Amino acid sequence: MAFTDSIGAATIDGLAYVGGLARLTGGAAKAVFISPFQGKRFHMSRAIHQAMAVGVEALPITSLISFFIGAILAVNAAYELRKFGALHLVASAVAVSMTRELGPLMTAVVVIGRSGSSFAAEIGTMKVNEEIDAMETMALEPISFLVAPKFLAMILMVPCLTAWADFMGVLGGGAFGLAAASFTWGSYIQATLEALIAHDILTGLLKAMFFGLVITAVGCQEGFSTGLGSEQVGRSTTSAVVKSIFAVVMVDLVSTTIFYLTAPR
Amino acid sequence: MDISTRKVGAATIVDVVGDITLYNSPQVRKVLLDLIKDKKTPRVIVNLERVKYIDSAGVASLVEGLKVSRDQKSSFALFGLSRTAREVLELTRLIKVFEVYNTEEEALAGGAKTDASPAR
Amino acid sequence: MSPLPPKKDYIGAMTPMPVKASCAISVRNLRVKYGEREILHGVNFDVPAGETMVILGGSGSGKSTLLRTLVGLERPSSGEIYIMGKEFANISEDERDELRKGIGMSFQSGALFGSMTVGENVALPLQEHTDLDPSTIEIMVRLKLDQVGLSGFENYMPAQLSGGMKKRAAIARALSMDPQVLFFDEPSAGLDPIIAAGIDELILKLKRAFKMSIVVVTHELASAFLIADRMIVLDKGVIVADATTDEMKNSTQPRVRQFLDRVPEPEVTGEIDYLQMLTGDIPPIRQ
Repeated sequence: MAFTDSIGAATIDGLAYVGGLARLTGGAAKAVFISPFQGKRFHMSRAIHQAMAVGVEALPITSLISFFIGAILAVNAAYELRKFGALHLVASAVAVSMTRELGPLMTAVVVIGRSGSSFAAEIGTMKVNEEIDAMETMALEPISFLVAPKFLAMILMVPCLTAWADFMGVLGGGAFGLAAASFTWGSYIQATLEALIAHDILTGLLKAMFFGLVITAVGCQEGFSTGLGSEQVGRSTTSAVVKSIFAVVMVDLVSTTIFYLTAPR
Repeated sequence: MDISTRKVGAATIVDVVGDITLYNSPQVRKVLLDLIKDKKTPRVIVNLERVKYIDSAGVASLVEGLKVSRDQKSSFALFGLSRTAREVLELTRLIKVFEVYNTEEEALAGGAKTDASPAR
Repeated sequence: MSPLPPKKDYIGAMTPMPVKASCAISVRNLRVKYGEREILHGVNFDVPAGETMVILGGSGSGKSTLLRTLVGLERPSSGEIYIMGKEFANISEDERDELRKGIGMSFQSGALFGSMTVGENVALPLQEHTDLDPSTIEIMVRLKLDQVGLSGFENYMPAQLSGGMKKRAAIARALSMDPQVLFFDEPSAGLDPIIAAGIDELILKLKRAFKMSIVVVTHELASAFLIADRMIVLDKGVIVADATTDEMKNSTQPRVRQFLDRVPEPEVTGEIDYLQMLTGDIPPIRQ
């Protein structure tokens, strides 16, 4: 009985959490896409500032990580493929797994570490310092003021970063291809382009957009649920990272399944 | 709030009727800057006789008018301050910064007597 | 006006007081719950326009909860709050935000936005809620900072300010929309006596000069007697006294004297309650 009780309680908590994420996302979407047409203000400058922090400043680390991931993929693919004397397939293996899966996923991990955690820390600190309360007494809506610019920046910048990560991953694979599999840059790029179809790239980018959305929602939600005391900010930040990774994997699973079922054969 | 202007000799008098607040002070500012900056009016006098209340946005708009008129080397004066308006200016220590008169006649004469504003 | 004793019992409010239009704030039968625990058990009081009301009470008296409810950070479980004659407690968020533009709140910690300069903090409500020109806003920010004695600090970050300066900057921000009603949470807590006296001076000046209605929550008695026109004493979620400052000084009511003379609380818990508290059968107080 106690066991089923706790399962029930955990389910309700889980659903309530997802409900909270949906409420945040809905509120942010309303602030970005609807309220400006109802005469309320949306500060593009705040969104641009966020986009710089989320996207542009993440370029170096994203480039480096995806380059190495591309190379690692190539090595792992080659390990199997050389048994069949099919090393020329390395390029397409890298291209497809990068664009469909690892580009979006590795980008999401970088963005969680850099931005998801900082959202939680920023909002959590504001919560602890009564700044969120102050905002409310000044008739400023925290969701439209704090969450909406992050939301807009993330759904735009995570796909952009992902596209760049895809490219860097292909370069990383190419570096291995040149060194160990008798490719030239020309033939490697040629093989990559032949292997890629628009559907793979687009579903990857669409996934990346969903990732951006859940990372924002989880980061902000953890920030807002920060308790009293500054040590709680650390807890929120950690929990934002862990929960975001889990949420991204879940979204990945669901969206990949949907893309599989709806893909042209 | 209503705002209108009339020319008396070289000066222009701005008649303001009603409260000057956060939400309508941009109107006052626009009229003042238009007179001082664009029309290069040598003397602008603001009639506050029928202004019961003026908040800090209204005060800030008057300060802007004064600043621009000093930049243009023209003159800027107020008259007919209500008790609360006077208190607000006293509290913000601006009563001595502005050229303030009791009546329209004094304000018009004051401008003729001294070209430079007294509080410099 | 009325001497203390007749107003002794507000619980249940047998005869609801009429709401006066001339009052900045009227509170009627206000009850607030955190979960199952009721913090305020039916509170009634009025703040006449242009006066300073000090809410006194020890820790756990519910005074902070009362203040948070007055500014709309907590929803009451029942009862009404009228601010400038308009119902504030039972309306939609949008209507509430409209009314909030007419009130200012100074938080205990200041609650300045750490990522913005002092000037940007003061400018923010004006930028968000009005169509004022940026140059007008700049002048207004300097005016407000001058009023709280912080001229020239507009480009400082909050972290660069001392505790007293932070509080002053927060007051400047609370003043930015020229509110009619101003709320203070523990304005002098954690400040040295000289700086605290400066804040008291500032509160007096704001009332005198801008005819603001002011509500101050504090446990500093000296400061309370200096700035208050009226006081209420809150004890365990109930108002035990509501009187002018002079009436309060001369009050003979035991609960009031006990608070004012700083007599330690006598142990009133019954044996059964005490046992239940020790054995954990009574849930601890949630802060």
